Amino acid sequence: MAYIELKQINAGYVKGSPILKDFKLEVERGELVSLLGPSGCGKTTTLRTISGFISPEKGQVIIDGKDVTNLPPNKRNIGLVFQTYALFPHLSVYENVAYGLKRRKVAKEIIKEKVNNILELVSLTGFEERLPANLSGGQRQRVALARSLVIEPDLLLLDEPLSNLDAKLRDEMRAELSRVQHQLGITMIYVTHDQIEALSLSSKIIVLNEGNIEQMGTPKEIYEKPATRFVAKFVGFDNELKAKFIKVNDANEVFVEVSNTTIMIDREQHFDVKSLKKGQSVSLFFRPDDTIISNMKNETSLAAKLNYANYQGNNSSFALTFEETEIRAIAPNVELQNSREIYFSIPSDKIIIEK
Amino acid sequence: MKKSKFLIFIVALVLVFLIGPFIVIILSSFNETAVMRFPPQGFSLKWYEKVFSIDMFRETFWISLKVGIAATFTALVIGIPVAYANVRYKYKGKNFVELIFSSPAIIPGLVIGFALLRFFIYVAHVPITLGLYLGHTAILFPYTVRVVSASLRNFDLSVEEAAVSLGSNPLGAFFRVVFPNIQAGVAAAFILAFITSFNNVPLSLFLTGPGVSTLPIQMLVYMEYYYDPTISALSSLIIILTIIIVQSAEKVLGISKYM
Amino acid sequence: MNPLKSRKTLILLAGPGFIFLLCFFFLPLLYVLMESFRGVDNQITLSRYFDVLVDAQFQLVFKRTLRIALIVTPIAVLVGYPTAYYISKLKSKKKSILTTLVILPLMTSPVARTYAWIVILGKFGIVNETLTTLHIIAEPMRILYTETAIVLGLLQLFMPILILTVSSSLENVNSEVEEAALSLGSNRIGVFFRVVVPLSFEGLIMGVTLVFTGCFTAYVTPAILGGANVLTLSTLMREQALVLMNWESATVIAVIMIITTLILYNGIRAFRPRNMA
Repeated sequence: MAYIELKQINAGYVKGSPILKDFKLEVERGELVSLLGPSGCGKTTTLRTISGFISPEKGQVIIDGKDVTNLPPNKRNIGLVFQTYALFPHLSVYENVAYGLKRRKVAKEIIKEKVNNILELVSLTGFEERLPANLSGGQRQRVALARSLVIEPDLLLLDEPLSNLDAKLRDEMRAELSRVQHQLGITMIYVTHDQIEALSLSSKIIVLNEGNIEQMGTPKEIYEKPATRFVAKFVGFDNELKAKFIKVNDANEVFVEVSNTTIMIDREQHFDVKSLKKGQSVSLFFRPDDTIISNMKNETSLAAKLNYANYQGNNSSFALTFEETEIRAIAPNVELQNSREIYFSIPSDKIIIEK
Repeated sequence: MKKSKFLIFIVALVLVFLIGPFIVIILSSFNETAVMRFPPQGFSLKWYEKVFSIDMFRETFWISLKVGIAATFTALVIGIPVAYANVRYKYKGKNFVELIFSSPAIIPGLVIGFALLRFFIYVAHVPITLGLYLGHTAILFPYTVRVVSASLRNFDLSVEEAAVSLGSNPLGAFFRVVFPNIQAGVAAAFILAFITSFNNVPLSLFLTGPGVSTLPIQMLVYMEYYYDPTISALSSLIIILTIIIVQSAEKVLGISKYM
Repeated sequence: MNPLKSRKTLILLAGPGFIFLLCFFFLPLLYVLMESFRGVDNQITLSRYFDVLVDAQFQLVFKRTLRIALIVTPIAVLVGYPTAYYISKLKSKKKSILTTLVILPLMTSPVARTYAWIVILGKFGIVNETLTTLHIIAEPMRILYTETAIVLGLLQLFMPILILTVSSSLENVNSEVEEAALSLGSNRIGVFFRVVVPLSFEGLIMGVTLVFTGCFTAYVTPAILGGANVLTLSTLMREQALVLMNWESATVIAVIMIITTLILYNGIRAFRPRNMA
């Protein structure tokens, strides 16, 4: 039985129809799961359904075996960290962090102890009397984190908590969040549209698109073997080629033909290659940084016309046209010939097939 | 630039037009003679003395003050929840509700006073002071709702949700977290509403009776019979008082934000 | 903003206010409305309306009130709009001082404010004194207790209202948009009329609505500056109700005031621009 379960949820209405329809989700205890996707995909709706600020029209929310669907948000013992930090502007850091404990009628001395411990955990000892207005962005975020952790919640929900911070601070806070999560072993669900955040933090990523789960997997799986066209494009498989299916052998190696050249794609694909017929059209996806550029042809490379090459130091950024398709590549520099003919190829384990 | 000169000229004209009369009235209140003349002749404070000696001014000042505070307080107590509902939630029929609550500002005060007189005083035999209080509360309503709404709109909803997620029930969250942060807006609403009530004439015109009247009404009555600078003196006092209140409110609360 | 979870919350929050208005605002108004249809023999009739509408004095007063509003509003706009524009361009310190000065007439007691005009416009007031001293006129003119006096008094009250409403929508006009227009060849006046005015039009409509309907229903200013001889709709109504004790007429005039106000309010607001990008 999963720690957090959403069953058959209909929630989040936009213009009459629900964003989440018959939505299903399972999260194990101690996991740090990222909900990744573009705006409007339903990730915030999912979060707000779990925290109780959205009541689903249909379905159940189960936490640690208990059905909390009809429980109001103030009774769910869930920690929330918001994008805008949402600190109480009129209360000191201490008062902010102590707020949840006070609502739980915890004794004064115990509150003091717990607050001090948690402030130490987030490296904010000494800031107790400060007001939020006198804190930096990073400090505010740490107070928000401390405030939601000190109540020892069953679950921590974070809604794009780092998007208001600058890049360097974001890196630091990401490391901080990771450390805290490992130290406390707390289950976290993290909403973001930033794939780098999701990849670096989570043990599991769920990619959402228009209320549907496109793929669920480890960061490595999502990044290297996207299951659908949407996920592929989302994690950077920008290049697309049309190909014709030839055959698949016993080692699950797939052979396709592009412009009279045979290309092999490695095993471990999500796509059901068995159902393909010979000669059927498929799409190949691959990353610009995986594309190999050369000025000499080999068996698996394709000839293309070079539009431009931008020198970028170790690598160059190449823009090619292959049979009216734009291909981009980031690859080490090559000697360019006058004819502007160039060859590109892709390693067999870096290609994804889709219909 | 040519346009700038012309523009400044217009603005100066406007300012003279708006503020000039106040200066005139303050100056004329020191007039020695009883006839309303300008420029003033002589200097005397006797009209100010007269203001304080007239019973009906003193008595109605207190009535205006009491009714003003009571009506403002009531309008705030029933107005703040309405402001909250309209800023926080969207629901069917919201436009209709907003219209209902702003309608006392659209219907002429004279008509409201007349209606209250006919219905409450004459039909329901409600005591006049009560009628005065009720009428003032009704017309202050749109003010309190509008000003408090402006203040609430600037307050981040997530802060409330944070409080709820930490275990506060919605009412507790409002009092512990929302209210402390909209105090400036509420104070601004109080001042604006109180001034509106204190200065009101059309409504109070109909809701006066034996022993019950408001200061502005009494000033009008006085003006019908006497032509001396007593009213100038009283007006000057009111103007100075208003300036002090509005200036302090602006400095402390930034009241012009809410208008 | 969240969608409302339970109807109960709305009822709890808006209920008391709603009930209050229902009892102490709508009910009395409804009563007055009903009473306006009561005829001599207590039947339902329009005869009262008829009596009022054909009355020569009523028609005179109605036209006069309309006329005054039609004079005050354009002047308030012509003079107030540029003033609001000027103020919006000021740095915050000067801006706040000027804004306070503009708000002052609004916050002061209307009696005090209007009384000043008696001093200014009276037989021995500033205007007359100045004009006779300069030998522009032989003897003091009657300015007080005329429509002109009412117009001046109303202007002092309503110009600030127009300036305030226009100011708030002028805040939304990005000065970079104006600079872009200038760089493309427009002169300052062109920028004002082609860029600033259209972008702050919503505030203008709101201001015009408030000023026009305000002039129509104003009481204190016409009462003091018009006297018993130059009546407007509100002073007429008061005279009928409290002096002549002619409650039937007063009731009808009250209803006519409500209807006219509502028509004016919604009619002018109809010119509001739809949401621009």
